[in-house]
Amino acid sequence: MPTVSSRGDAMRGLAVFISDIRNCKSKEAESKRINKELANIRSKFKGDKTLDGYSKKKYVCKLLFIFLLGHDIDFGHMEAVNLLSSNKYTEKQIGYLFISVLVSSNSDLMKLIIQNIKNDISSPKPVHVNLALHCIANIGSVEMSEAFGQEVPKLLVSAHASASVKQSAALCLLRLIRTLPEAMTYAEWASRVIHLLNDQHMWLTAATSLIHTLSQLSPGDYKGCVSLAVSRLSRIVTSTYTDLQDYTYYFVPAPWLSVKLLRLLQCYPVPEEPAVRGRLVECLETILNKCQEPPKSKKVQHSNSKNAVLFEAINLIIHIDSEPNLLVRACNQLGQFLQHRETNLRYLALESMCLLAGSEFSADAVKKHRETVINALKTERDVSVRQRAVDLLYAMCDKTNSEEIVAEMLAYLKKADYAIREEMVLKVAILSEKYASDYTWYVDTILKLIRVAGDYVSEEVWHRVIQIVINRDDAQGYAAKTVFENLQAPACHENMVKVGGYILGEFGNLIAGDERSSPLVQFNLLHSKFHLCTPSTRALLLSTYIKFINLFPEIKPTIQNVLQNNNQLRNADVELQQRALEYSQLSSITSQDVLATVLEEMPPFPERESSILAKLKKKKPASVQVSLVGCFMCKDHATMSVLLNHIPVWVSLTPYLSPTFASVQVNYYIISTNASSNYTIVLFQQCLYMDAFDDVLTLPADLGESPSTESTEHANRPFMFKNSGVLFENALIQVGVKCEFKEQYGRVGLFFGNKTGNQLQNFAAAVSLGPEHQGKINVATQKEPPSQIDGGAQVQHFINLECISMFSGSPNLQLRYQHSSAPQQVTLKLPVIINKFMEGVDMNSGDFFSRWKQLGQPTQETQKIFQARHPIDTEAARTKLTGFGMCALTNVDPNPENLVGSGIIKTKTSQIGCLLRLEPNKQAKMYRLTVRSSVGEAAALICSMLEEHF
Amino acid sequence: MIGGLFLYNHKGEVLISRIYRDDIGRNACDAFRVNVIHARQHVRSPVTNIARTSFFHTKRGNIWLCAVTKQNVNAVMVFEFLMKMIDVMQSYFGKINEENIKNNFVLIYELLDEVLDFGYPQKTDTGILKTFITQQGIKTQIETLVNGAKTKEETTQITSQVTGQIGWRREGIKYRRNELFLDVLESVNLLMSPQGQVLSAHVAGRVVMKSFLSGMPECKFGMNDKLVLDKGNKTNDELSKNSSGGKPSIAIDDCTFHQCVKLSKFESERSISFIPADGEFELMRYRTTKDISLPFRVIPLVRDIARSKMEVKVVLKSNFKPTLLAQKIEIRIPTPLNTSGVQVLCMKGKAKYKASENAIVWKMKRMAGMKESQISAEIELLPTAEKKKWSRPPISMNFEVPFAPSGLKVRYLKVFEPKLNYNDHDVIKWVRYIGKSGLYETRC
Repeated sequence: MPTVSSRGDAMRGLAVFISDIRNCKSKEAESKRINKELANIRSKFKGDKTLDGYSKKKYVCKLLFIFLLGHDIDFGHMEAVNLLSSNKYTEKQIGYLFISVLVSSNSDLMKLIIQNIKNDISSPKPVHVNLALHCIANIGSVEMSEAFGQEVPKLLVSAHASASVKQSAALCLLRLIRTLPEAMTYAEWASRVIHLLNDQHMWLTAATSLIHTLSQLSPGDYKGCVSLAVSRLSRIVTSTYTDLQDYTYYFVPAPWLSVKLLRLLQCYPVPEEPAVRGRLVECLETILNKCQEPPKSKKVQHSNSKNAVLFEAINLIIHIDSEPNLLVRACNQLGQFLQHRETNLRYLALESMCLLAGSEFSADAVKKHRETVINALKTERDVSVRQRAVDLLYAMCDKTNSEEIVAEMLAYLKKADYAIREEMVLKVAILSEKYASDYTWYVDTILKLIRVAGDYVSEEVWHRVIQIVINRDDAQGYAAKTVFENLQAPACHENMVKVGGYILGEFGNLIAGDERSSPLVQFNLLHSKFHLCTPSTRALLLSTYIKFINLFPEIKPTIQNVLQNNNQLRNADVELQQRALEYSQLSSITSQDVLATVLEEMPPFPERESSILAKLKKKKPASVQVSLVGCFMCKDHATMSVLLNHIPVWVSLTPYLSPTFASVQVNYYIISTNASSNYTIVLFQQCLYMDAFDDVLTLPADLGESPSTESTEHANRPFMFKNSGVLFENALIQVGVKCEFKEQYGRVGLFFGNKTGNQLQNFAAAVSLGPEHQGKINVATQKEPPSQIDGGAQVQHFINLECISMFSGSPNLQLRYQHSSAPQQVTLKLPVIINKFMEGVDMNSGDFFSRWKQLGQPTQETQKIFQARHPIDTEAARTKLTGFGMCALTNVDPNPENLVGSGIIKTKTSQIGCLLRLEPNKQAKMYRLTVRSSVGEAAALICSMLEEHF
Repeated sequence: MIGGLFLYNHKGEVLISRIYRDDIGRNACDAFRVNVIHARQHVRSPVTNIARTSFFHTKRGNIWLCAVTKQNVNAVMVFEFLMKMIDVMQSYFGKINEENIKNNFVLIYELLDEVLDFGYPQKTDTGILKTFITQQGIKTQIETLVNGAKTKEETTQITSQVTGQIGWRREGIKYRRNELFLDVLESVNLLMSPQGQVLSAHVAGRVVMKSFLSGMPECKFGMNDKLVLDKGNKTNDELSKNSSGGKPSIAIDDCTFHQCVKLSKFESERSISFIPADGEFELMRYRTTKDISLPFRVIPLVRDIARSKMEVKVVLKSNFKPTLLAQKIEIRIPTPLNTSGVQVLCMKGKAKYKASENAIVWKMKRMAGMKESQISAEIELLPTAEKKKWSRPPISMNFEVPFAPSGLKVRYLKVFEPKLNYNDHDVIKWVRYIGKSGLYETRC
């Protein structure tokens, strides 16, 4: 124990100094006093006098105090380090304190400090070892982890170290592991550490923390701790054992240790052996039983520690999730807490119940508390508790109680806190959709939702309503009626106008029979909101108007008036202007029949996961679930093939949103009048794809051609740089592609989607190799597509490829099918191009130029000088080159504008190295492209392929 | 306009709180306390904006004065007002400290009612205020005061005077001896490079008049301002005779006058004529930047001898007439923050290392003109953990000299009193010049 210094540890000087500071009347006076003291200490530390340990300690203490007051200290470190080598406990202690507080981890003194700590760690006096361990943990730097990562575990498992040293060592090790997990090797002392759980002493809690962290790092090594932990837990919990009676805290035996053990057990699955398992269950039961007993003390500490153990036990029960009895009991216990006075308890109870609601055994038990939870939502004062109540309501909702819960949530939404409104809106939307038995109820709920909390209703929510209404014939009439009624309110939210615009545009005719909602009334109602809306809503309303022209020819003049109004035709917003102009032209030029086909009702949407759910998941990053829609949103090329399933939905919604749609649609209809309405969408989709994949938006030139045979030369170009996308699309079929290439092997996945409502028959897809490809590519079909594709369905077709030797161009894919007994044939170019088999090779400047010179023969080089087709941008060119398959090398060419790349084409028979230099001339907007390759043909081929793209 | 006024003691406790406008809440004084008085970092700006409320503060001793407003007021006006308020309080109860303020609560609130109306500054002249706020301040030393009740006549007189044209002087003043004192008080500000190059210099000066004159005299003040003289040369033959004596004239950059000066006359004729307030008042304030005669020159010499030692040598030269004597000279040489010991050697005066201020302070009682003196010091340094460069703050000095460094001279002050029968010659006039140091710094 600390040795008391002969002069006493009072340090009067320090006390006087501190009281002086505290008596200072102003900041100035304080800083004066501190300056004086600092000058004094500096003169003492000058070095010509030797100070005894006591005064050194005193001055270091003063410095520490000054530092903690917020002043800079830049001396005295050496003196503090000197204190470490003192033999007196107090001096050492102050030295360590100063070092842990003040010395930065990159200080020059660190080596000296580490040496001192090493001495102390091996000291026979336990207090010194403890001080050293505390210092290591307090600094806790990477350097410390490296220096002591091996020493500390030795102390932990050594036979003669005292309990207090072991405790410090365990905590110190914990800190070091958190700093630098890789510096430790756990396996070798795993078993010995586990057996620390058998120890009798108080430092068990520290050891349990350590084991908890270790078992998270390498669960396998510490598996053995489960049974030990269970037996330890049962010894604590069952009162017959008395070995831990000394650690009772307010009548609760060793609460901290219990909590840690319970947490440790949550790292592992339920123990297999029946004995251990039985014992664990018994323990948990005992803990639950204890809560029923009357409290032994009124002190808050007693109930707090008891509840801490209980909640951790409940967490473990949830983790085990196979003991119905325990789950129900836990749920009942939590139910009692729901009405507890203590806010924290109510919060915790709600939170745990949320988890319980997810378990099949306790879900019913949770539902019993519905009334209480709803009550909590209404009366709770703390917003975080209310949030938990919302979560719980969401979790416990099912078919039987959904109507009530949704109604309650809607009622609460009116006065809910702004922070949780958006989440609540999403939850209400999901619940009402998920458990809707009657779609009129669903429509009512969502419309009410928009009315109550319009600002918080996101795009996804109202998109979803429309999807559902369109897909449900039975709900359409009702929806139109309710929307109309809702729109009659003097002030309605913009989202309501959007929903109203869309639904009336589609199904306005269903309610037009009524006098009160005659076409003109409908139109006037919508148009009265028009001026109050944002441009995107106005654009949607314009689409609604053109749909009205189709639905109700009798009000055509009125609508045309509106469309031709200068407010629209000369609107500052280009989108509105364009729509107004084109719609008015469409309505005046085309015949009624054309109009009817163009403006046909939207086709039903394919069923898919609710986008709202995806949004809710996105709001909670904890639940990492990659939903399809999530990918959909991220616009990643790699996931595009997944997208193919969902595009129609997107597209059919987009006419109301996207800028380019109207023009494409109208342009097309003016040219050809005999196509089906689906085709417009197809066209549009193509544009959209182009838009998504490439910067350029090009329309196929052969618009007017008959769609029975088509080729897709033009579509192959973008595939030079990417591996997935839509290969082909027409009114009937959509072909998506996704390829993977590795060395000379390739795998092409084709996705054929039937876009019509009818079956496509005699479907066949075959890869045909032209004479130029014979013997150069091997093709094997891995999975044949079925011969029929149902309406709206999609089938897959996988092809494996092997590149034997170099080839140019790409193989063809022949598609044959029968649509309404008319045979159709399509020839497509597979996106299998020679550059797909190229792999980039990274090399430095010296390597590159030496190889460049090796390939110096005229046959091996192809050079082209050409006009730049795109603005000269080195970064973009670099990206293109990487997409092409080459490795764009940096720091090779002395001119940074020049682009240098290298790659190897891997075929079965040979490997062809290719080197490339692209030199831009910005003034002339020209490029010089030089390609050298070990095979002359390859150089020429690559050169010609790349030429068009810069 | 000013929304409220607070006075705090050094701990931040509110001593006086007077709110003039509804947009200032009671919590405003807490905001200032938390953000300025108790701020972790010392707040240097006198204007602090907290939650769209502006706080203008100044400190006298341990007392914080703070004016608050939510509007976009003229900051200079607010500070001018705060200074006036300090003057007024000082003239009522002497030194401003916590005890005096606590003893004069009633008086201060009465003053605050008078000097600000709905946040607009009103009369702040001590002399006038004393005519109607007759409460005597309670000074720390207890004085017995006779406070006679005013008759009705007197009160009506006060009203007519305060609201009248000449609000700063009441009628019927009579002195047995007509006497006046003129003080020209200047403060010199200088920043000089180590090589002796003037980086910035200006003089802020005040002319303070103390008048004990009977009746309603009209005075005319003349000085050697360039503009006044030039004007005089053209129009007034009499004046041109005086100025043609080759006396140097000075260029005043800008000046402000007491309200008694007739500005129209100054604008048109460049002459300063006025009916003076009774007692002490500040006749004018001015600023000059050209041709300043710097009374002292500081020549620093700093040398690092070794890693832990440096030497500082400072030569001080006085640069004025040998017959004059400068007083209260104090030179402050900053020392590095890791100074562990200082040895000082000086020829004259006393020098001492003051650890609490991190500076060597060299004091001399007086020094005649055209003299030279020197100090040298050896500073020992302690090696520090981090090599932080010392910022080398400038050497500053304080002094007092019996002349005006700007070169301003009072040429005449004429008194005319047509009603009472006394002559300009009968008035006893005293003129005094005091030049003080403001921020007088030399970089080293």
